[in-house]
Amino acid sequence: MRKLILLVAIVLSGSYFLNAFAQKQGLEIGDKAPEIAFPSPEGNTVALSSLKNKLVLIDFWGTWCAPCVKEQPELAKLYKKYKNTSFRNGKGFEIYGVSLDAKEENWKNGIKTLNISWIQVSDLKFWRSPVAKTYNIQELPYNLLLNGNGTILAKNLHGSELEKMIIRFMK
Amino acid sequence: MKTKISIFLLVAFATSVLAFSHFSSPGVPEPWTTQQLLNPADLAKTLNNPSAPQPIVYSVGMQAIIKNSIEIGPAMMKENLNSLKSKLEKLPKNSNIVIYCGCCPFERCPNVRPAMELLKTMQFTNYKLLNLPQNIKVDWIDHGYPLSE
Repeated sequence: MRKLILLVAIVLSGSYFLNAFAQKQGLEIGDKAPEIAFPSPEGNTVALSSLKNKLVLIDFWGTWCAPCVKEQPELAKLYKKYKNTSFRNGKGFEIYGVSLDAKEENWKNGIKTLNISWIQVSDLKFWRSPVAKTYNIQELPYNLLLNGNGTILAKNLHGSELEKMIIRFMK
Repeated sequence: MKTKISIFLLVAFATSVLAFSHFSSPGVPEPWTTQQLLNPADLAKTLNNPSAPQPIVYSVGMQAIIKNSIEIGPAMMKENLNSLKSKLEKLPKNSNIVIYCGCCPFERCPNVRPAMELLKTMQFTNYKLLNLPQNIKVDWIDHGYPLSE
């Protein structure tokens, strides 16, 4: 009988933890950002982890996403302003643009037309890209701000809210 | 190359103008009725049952992600809308047709309205819009519904 009670207790607590785990969707502030390693327009794989020791904004976007396209000039301003700034946990600010484009031509033309000078990568898999799942992306645009260790500092901030957050982490 | 860039510019411009202006203006009726919205679970069930009568499914967005669907390309571009038109011209008016895009929430999607308007104008009688209110990832892929190879 005792064994049975113990068994029931183990099963119940196990299912409780599994359930708690399943309910935790996506990534939270303080979590480590999972690795992304996709090709750049030139065909070189650029890993997110190669940007250690910098403040990094992961910008999930697509040339087919109107609000994303509209945001690029704002990101360009932030990039220009802060790329050489020293932060509490990193030297310099970098943007890691991950496009959910489907067509290489649209993606490359978009980068050219919008004059984007920061890192751009894409696996050209549209919403089927594995990052849409690992980062639990619900809608574009979506972004994450990471510190020099790749830990998430902020989620989905735009405009002045994003700049305020960048300033908060300045040395 | 220059043409390609100017096409991109035009598309980007049109998308932003349209997305932020008349897309789902209050008071302007959508070119579909509530009855014409097809529940993704119902389409998934049909696609998973090969003995059921299959609809003709057109992707009017970026990529034909749904199993057995036909890629038209973004219907906001005239050339793609024309290609849809020429395909439709060969079909009987009572064909079972499903349209989907799934890039963005309906109110921001530049592709579903031109396609649905075309079917209406061509007087088709049995066409549906796949109800992907958020996008194809959240409302289709995340549910494990059938995907193209």
